[in-house]
Amino acid sequence: MAITTEGNYDYDVAIVGGGPGGYTAAICAARGGLRTVLIERDALGGTCLNRGCIPTKSYIYDTKLFRSVRDTPVIRGGEKVQLDLAALLARKRHVVDTLVSGVQGLLRSNGADVIRGEARLIGANCIQIAKSNGELAELNVRHVVLANGSRPAVPPFIKVDGRLVQTTDELLDTPEFSGKVLIIGGGVIGIEMATIFLNAGADVTIIEMLPDILATEDKDIRREMKRQLKKRKAAVLVATSVKEIAIQGDQARVTFQAQGREQAKTVTVDKVLVATGRMPVLDGIDSNKLGLETNGPYLKVNERLETNLPGVFAIGDLIGGMMLAHKASADAETVVDNILGADKSVESHLIPRCIWGLLEIGAVGLSEEEAIAAGRKIRVGKFPFAASGAARAMGHPEGFVKVVGDDATGEIVGLHIIGEHATDLIAEAVSVIKMEGAVEDLSEAIKPHPTLSEAVMEAALDWNGQAVHLPRKSKR
Amino acid sequence: MAVEVVIPMLGVTVENGKIVEWLKTEGDPVEKGESLFIVEADKVTTEVESPATGILAKILLPEGEEVPVLTVVGLITEPGEAIPDAYLPPGASGGVPSKGSKATETGEQVDFAEDAPATQTALSGPVRIVPAARKLAQDRGLDLHSLLPSGPENVITYDDVVKADAPSDDAVPQRISTLARRQAEAHGVSTDAIKGTGVRGRIMRSDVTAAADTVRLERKVSRSAAEVDATFGSVIPMDSMRQTIARRLAGSAFTAPHVAFYTDVHMDPLLQYRKSILNAFEKHYDLRPSINDFLIKAVALTIREFPLLNGMLKDDGIHVLPNINVGLAVAIPNGLVVPAITDADQCGLKGIVQQRSDLVGRALKGQLSMDEMERGTFTISSLAQFDITFFTSILNPPQSGILSVGKTRDELYLVDGEVKVRHVATMGLAVDHRIIDGAMAAGFVQGLKEKLETPAFTFMHT
Repeated sequence: MAITTEGNYDYDVAIVGGGPGGYTAAICAARGGLRTVLIERDALGGTCLNRGCIPTKSYIYDTKLFRSVRDTPVIRGGEKVQLDLAALLARKRHVVDTLVSGVQGLLRSNGADVIRGEARLIGANCIQIAKSNGELAELNVRHVVLANGSRPAVPPFIKVDGRLVQTTDELLDTPEFSGKVLIIGGGVIGIEMATIFLNAGADVTIIEMLPDILATEDKDIRREMKRQLKKRKAAVLVATSVKEIAIQGDQARVTFQAQGREQAKTVTVDKVLVATGRMPVLDGIDSNKLGLETNGPYLKVNERLETNLPGVFAIGDLIGGMMLAHKASADAETVVDNILGADKSVESHLIPRCIWGLLEIGAVGLSEEEAIAAGRKIRVGKFPFAASGAARAMGHPEGFVKVVGDDATGEIVGLHIIGEHATDLIAEAVSVIKMEGAVEDLSEAIKPHPTLSEAVMEAALDWNGQAVHLPRKSKR
Repeated sequence: MAVEVVIPMLGVTVENGKIVEWLKTEGDPVEKGESLFIVEADKVTTEVESPATGILAKILLPEGEEVPVLTVVGLITEPGEAIPDAYLPPGASGGVPSKGSKATETGEQVDFAEDAPATQTALSGPVRIVPAARKLAQDRGLDLHSLLPSGPENVITYDDVVKADAPSDDAVPQRISTLARRQAEAHGVSTDAIKGTGVRGRIMRSDVTAAADTVRLERKVSRSAAEVDATFGSVIPMDSMRQTIARRLAGSAFTAPHVAFYTDVHMDPLLQYRKSILNAFEKHYDLRPSINDFLIKAVALTIREFPLLNGMLKDDGIHVLPNINVGLAVAIPNGLVVPAITDADQCGLKGIVQQRSDLVGRALKGQLSMDEMERGTFTISSLAQFDITFFTSILNPPQSGILSVGKTRDELYLVDGEVKVRHVATMGLAVDHRIIDGAMAAGFVQGLKEKLETPAFTFMHT
């Protein structure tokens, strides 16, 4: 270990922000023997636990259950069931509260101090804290890890009133999912929120500025998701920009225009959800004054996740890239190892992407198009859930697994799953890629029957033209 | 009864051979047809099979010593049978080979001695080890002499090797990722000495890359250091390939009077022709024809018109060989080999590309058979990838013709008083002037030039 814990510092490491990046960093640092303090102005758990991953999943699974009961032919009277929105909210709160207190317990048990208050970075080794109890404190610290996170980014012409025009921050605390809703943004957040609304029975329109929804995903995955949205009668308008939102009583009039069209259109809806991405929270970080280099709106870091101020590191949403909880956690572990003397970087190609849409999406690595654009000589294997006994038995035969593998070495360049349990299924591929397994490694392990994991195996077999549960391919 | 193991006839022109590796040790049981040793002769290595089933009772020729073919190098006996006196050297073991013994061929009986058991201990002399154990020890990179035998008569068993290779720390034998293993295989990097940086010492791709870089660097450094310190003023021993090249080329140069004929071939038609069929060819056959492939075909077709170019001068006359096998000189590390495409005149272009790419690929890996090297009846030597305008070659004996191909260059020429540019390659034919006269050689060169300049017609039926 390259670091000693003596000296005149109050702490070896101070972490600003208690989200999945910050609290993971605090736990790892404390376990690594560093005197650690975490500063959080709000609730521990950050966006993930309080305003993001966890609340949305609570709603996703609740509304999915509702939809399943409504739609299943094997339960009589399903059409009469109703969502209890208050219970929905209560369950979400209970889930969040349990997890937040869990994080608190973990920090305590590992010996990391937690200070409630607003942090301000004064210099490379100095943090000023406006504590929640009104006191002002200054800490001398050897290392700083900035894990301030992000908040919804809202275009300047849109005014979020929290009632008719909301971001996820407001929506998740006022679960009303009926009527006509317009979602601005067809990215991950827009698609997940559309899923909740659709399952709850709302009338959904999605407007996306880019030429397609879920721009970072493989084209086959995007096509399947659009098919599902269409099947559920959601209107998806791509290459379209919102021009104006006007409030008229209890409704919002939204004007939008498709690219290349002269005529703008107008629609009146009960709710507008702004899901146009997220921006870093730079409160308490005066980059100009501190001389901190930035990368667009984000803080700039090197491979070791260190900023240009020696000893000041930044992780998670604050530095951009994939703005995902598990990416922030991976950053956190890397940063602590580096503070402890290692020289590590995060392997970004190993960060999986999970989307809870009408069908789940789990993906890692490059899409087919990206692989080709990168000059890779690849082969693709595919297996539809329709050919999986498990998927049929579950009553979820929609979706597929797609393997993109290097033609010569068998390297798993990308793996894309859409369908039931895709977000769990992708983990196997991530492990195999991390261990530098080849496509064949996905198929040579014996998979339990009847499970969807067999579909991953079959897609890997199909990559070699060997899928057992697909018609024989003509000889390549 | 004892059966002699000899270095086999490896080809009509091969005189000597050298055992580079014994695959069995004395005392090993062997099956008829099982590989016994690897012999190197005339630039290639060949595995030699056991002529009988029994025990490899005696190795008479150690690794690394060159002897004439048909020399007896080992003896196979039946289990329990003693080694005949005649093969027991008067002193130390591993003695002088009994050169040229024809005992088995002539049916002469060899006297057996009753009192000469072929037993050894692991502590002195060759190691006795069961074949599976030997294989395992080789795979694990273990020194045979370091193994403690537990089998009867001090034979090292499979379990002895397993035991010796048991991990001393918490690591399992050798853990390597699939991609790292494939990368190592693709680049010919040994993973034995690589220290893995993955979880619990697992060897990852980056470790293989780093090891390959280190090896490359070491080679580079050692070579440049060697250039300064060692090469000048040193004596470089001739390996068998270099000896063969030296002997054959000197023999050829001082026996066959060489004479060379040059012509300029206008290459644009052929380059365009190749380009025009390239996509379809690749699509249909998954093969990529090179200019050499067209050359091989054109040469073979021209030989049909001038059969003496397929001839060889021997004591009893000029042997015009029945098959037109066109050899292609391939530079390999430390030397040169000439694998030949068989029946190149009969073979379609597809077949030529197939044969050529397979032969060249294996030539670079040192995996050619003796026959593939010896069957050529004419040779093409191309230095087109170098900045060499034209050159001559020494005949590849006993062949009577060799074509030398220089680079394709830009040349200015006049058409109706107008200066134009075209691609030209100078080709030179060297012949054995004893059997090929100037007019015939000139006719051959001219015929070849015509064929290459009218490719659509030449390759019409291929």
